[in-house]
Amino acid sequence: MTNGQPWPPPGYAPPTPGDVSPDHAAPPGYGPPPDQTPPPGYGTPAGPQAQPWPGPVPPGPVPPGAWNPAPWGPPGGEEPRQRLHPLSPALHGAKSLVVVIAGLSWSTLSRVGFGWFAVLVAVFVLGATVLSVISWWNTGYHVVGRELRVHEGLLWRRTRAIPLERLQAVEVVRPLLAQLTGLAELRLEVVGGGKTEAPLAYLGVAEASALRQRLLAVAGRAPAPAPTAAPGVPAPPAAAGRRLHAVRNQDLLVSQLLTPQAFLLPLGLAFVVAQFLSEGSWSFIAVASTLTAMAGVLLQPIRRVLDDWSFRLDAEGDTLRVHNGLLETRVQTVPLHRVQTVGVTWPLLWRMKGWLRLRLEVAGYSAGEPDDRNRPDRLLPVGDAGTGELVVAEVLPGVRLDALPGTPPPARARWLRPLSRAAVGAGLDERVFVARSGLLTRRLTLVPYARIQSVRVTQGPAQRRLRLATVHADTAGGAGAAAVDRDLGDAWALAAELTARARAARRADRPA
Amino acid sequence: MNADDLAGPPTTPPGPLEPWPETVRWQPISRDLIWVELIRLGIGLAVALVVLGAAWAFSGHWLLGAAIGVSLLLSAWRTVTIVRAVRAWGYAERDDDLLVRHGLLVRRLSIVPYSRMQFVDVSAGPLERAFDLATVQLHTAAAASDARVPGLRPAEASRLRDRLTALGEDRAEGL
Repeated sequence: MTNGQPWPPPGYAPPTPGDVSPDHAAPPGYGPPPDQTPPPGYGTPAGPQAQPWPGPVPPGPVPPGAWNPAPWGPPGGEEPRQRLHPLSPALHGAKSLVVVIAGLSWSTLSRVGFGWFAVLVAVFVLGATVLSVISWWNTGYHVVGRELRVHEGLLWRRTRAIPLERLQAVEVVRPLLAQLTGLAELRLEVVGGGKTEAPLAYLGVAEASALRQRLLAVAGRAPAPAPTAAPGVPAPPAAAGRRLHAVRNQDLLVSQLLTPQAFLLPLGLAFVVAQFLSEGSWSFIAVASTLTAMAGVLLQPIRRVLDDWSFRLDAEGDTLRVHNGLLETRVQTVPLHRVQTVGVTWPLLWRMKGWLRLRLEVAGYSAGEPDDRNRPDRLLPVGDAGTGELVVAEVLPGVRLDALPGTPPPARARWLRPLSRAAVGAGLDERVFVARSGLLTRRLTLVPYARIQSVRVTQGPAQRRLRLATVHADTAGGAGAAAVDRDLGDAWALAAELTARARAARRADRPA
Repeated sequence: MNADDLAGPPTTPPGPLEPWPETVRWQPISRDLIWVELIRLGIGLAVALVVLGAAWAFSGHWLLGAAIGVSLLLSAWRTVTIVRAVRAWGYAERDDDLLVRHGLLVRRLSIVPYSRMQFVDVSAGPLERAFDLATVQLHTAAAASDARVPGLRPAEASRLRDRLTALGEDRAEGL
């Protein structure tokens, strides 16, 4: 996985192999004991050696460079812990404002009146801000050997050691508030992690991109050094890559208007207006509640528009760089060798435009992430057939979207799927396994043979009567692809062929 | 194997559970697993009967009596299927992958390459230990792949585990 040179930071002993100990034990060869001594510059001068960091330090004057990556620790010793940007607590407090207002809800506002409502909100937000100041004070991170260590917590102290060998991707995310203040959030994706590890929120933009470069370098997968931008520049620095495609925002808007939600909106509005006209009561609360409910229905298309605004796709070496977002710009780096499946979708209403959507599954991002916006799964939010062709050819070289093989299941499968028999199908292309499904929203799943984890054949009771079986190709993360209702003999042959091709592809993939 | 498992008409391969008969040598699992499963079923049935019986005795509703009858019938049917299901379970080690087949109502065959193995579990519950059995489970990075082989003798289980880990390390490609 990581066959690159360990990045030798000055003053470091070489890391002991396999040392991923997350505790405070100091491995030999790391210089002074790392975690027991408070590094100078963190409040009061260093106390007794046994005092745990940060200890009961009164908030003394923070040196102006405390959140700066400029080295100010003891030369040649352990790298000092860095703090997050001092504006972070203010941002966290502001973020909690939305939560507090949503939690108090419209009905509270109507019951207590506006003045008390404002007081309540102020109290909660103040409390949240105080808590975030405390947590900011106690949070620190540093790179030790080939680990990123993040220390946090006042009562429940936690040190997370993130082995950088298992690093999948580092993402620089900029929510709206962070954009206004020139800050950025750093998210790390680790193989097998249950969720996104250690969001470092917030850092200065320059610092975030510098840390990203450094972490990737330590992980042994150094991309070309990106030009660092000065803080305050609206977008994180994008490395010079080959521009593959940029989605026109106009197309994005039209595509989201061509969704069932958008079509149903006028009906819903008419219903509400009719109700109010007939009742003759326009109470503020009722209107506000109705609007909130409507916003809930429209949330998905609106979120898609916001997320995919000014969507750009760049190729950079063997990684793809996805840049998207209106309020929250994010730059995601997708290593192409981690792509497990590519999904193509033709929604019903988009067919008149001939548009399609491309998604991908990447290993290492857990499926259980509650907010799927954090996973790099977009490849193309909307595009015509030619664009789809181009992007697919970039991700899976040699695959042509319009020339994919596929045969439908035998005619007797109509007893199981009377309508969609002709819509499902499966085929073996040169490098990918192709599975089709969906009558109204047509879907196509492409699984490279080299990414198949296991092959399964299942046969339910009804399928047994009809001598049919389903062949699944499982991939890491995501559902994989399935050839449903194949003839039994066909299914065995398909399973054998998939196994053989997967083995051959793995052999070819393996570094010598 | 048992011909009564073939419900459908004869197919091109000799049986729906046994593809590639000329290259694959299927290993059955220990028949003692039948007893383990039967005891498990018996314990479940006993608990259900005690609860239902007590409720029936107190309330006297006829539905509870019917429920007792239904659970007895279900258990009798399950007893028959347990015997057949254990016989239907099998595994085969090929050069590059492990095949596991099981299931009666829904039949499943898994083909898991050794090189995709992430880790191997060997487990034995108290009932299994009483009958000197163990379960080997192979995990890959895909959540959907199921390669679980129950009802192995401990010696065979450790042999399989060692072989799997040896082959897995040999050919590991991970993701």
